[in-house]
Amino acid sequence: MKIEQSKLVAELRELSLKHLELVQGLMSLNHDQLVQRPHENAWNALECIEHLNRYGDFYLPECESRLLTAKIKAQNPIFRSSWLGEYFAQSMWPKEGFKPIKTFAVMNPSQQDLNLSTLEKFESQLKAWLGFLDRSQDYDWRKIKTGISISSLIKLRLGDTLRVVLYHHERHLRQAYRAARLA
Amino acid sequence: MASLQDLIVKITKANIWSEPLSLKRGEHLSEAGKVDQKVYWIKEGCLQFNLLADGEEQSIRFAYPGNMVSVLDSYISGTASKYSLQALRKSEVQFCTKQVFEAYLKSENLQEVWNQSLYQLILEMMEREQDLLLNSPADRLNRVLKRSPRLFQEVPHKYIASYLRMSPETLSRLLNS
Repeated sequence: MKIEQSKLVAELRELSLKHLELVQGLMSLNHDQLVQRPHENAWNALECIEHLNRYGDFYLPECESRLLTAKIKAQNPIFRSSWLGEYFAQSMWPKEGFKPIKTFAVMNPSQQDLNLSTLEKFESQLKAWLGFLDRSQDYDWRKIKTGISISSLIKLRLGDTLRVVLYHHERHLRQAYRAARLA
Repeated sequence: MASLQDLIVKITKANIWSEPLSLKRGEHLSEAGKVDQKVYWIKEGCLQFNLLADGEEQSIRFAYPGNMVSVLDSYISGTASKYSLQALRKSEVQFCTKQVFEAYLKSENLQEVWNQSLYQLILEMMEREQDLLLNSPADRLNRVLKRSPRLFQEVPHKYIASYLRMSPETLSRLLNS
């Protein structure tokens, strides 16, 4: 992806605002709707959101701490993805007929005792991401690098990391809506 | 068609590699009994593939700076490997997962060149198979000396002896005669 950074910021902000509405939509449902499963081995809506919370628990502090030590205000208005960043971002966005990705055990919330607070936590994470987009938008999203959850040795450009994380939200919010029979 | 060298140049420039990973002498990069589907690119040092045979670590293959290697049984099958990969001295490697590596080859149309490098590997393994059938330690040594002088520059003799299936004393005697 090659795009003006300000456009990418706007795109990700819009996406997260949409996600905020989607999670608030889930909050208006009753518990039975939130825990119904499409089939025995599929996640219910709460599990989908808990899965996102666990990634947020890694990526929010990771991105915040990288921003904290960043010195470079953006010189270049154009953001360009790395090959790897593009690959991860593309594979995260839910496409027609996409394959489920096998999750890591620590990120699998299956069969946990979850409730409304799971949704509230995700809502506050989304607000934190929106705040992060605002605070980081003047910095160089190409030069700031972050680790990723599967390996601290693999680094992505901040712009790519944000795409991966926020596209991941899209993927599982759609799944949550299907599980709750709203989509 | 691009050559293998071109492939390596292209791949090493691609933004698919992890940060460098440092290994101390003797440290394992990959252990027998585990699934390992990464491709490793050796930046510095020297590593060896081991196989546990009759209770002893047998040297199977070596990896030098510039090489791209993987624990192929596990890489191909996705099951636990019988091999371990160990640093013979302080080494530095970068890695890439199979999934990412293969997606990259596909997106850059490099699969054919990669096939060529696998053919080359098969030929090398066939050479090695012939080595192992020779009864005379001197004949085994001479074939390898001719084929891979680099081995003798990079690898301590005790590992070469293991690779050649002879005792370090025999190797030392043959090299001095």
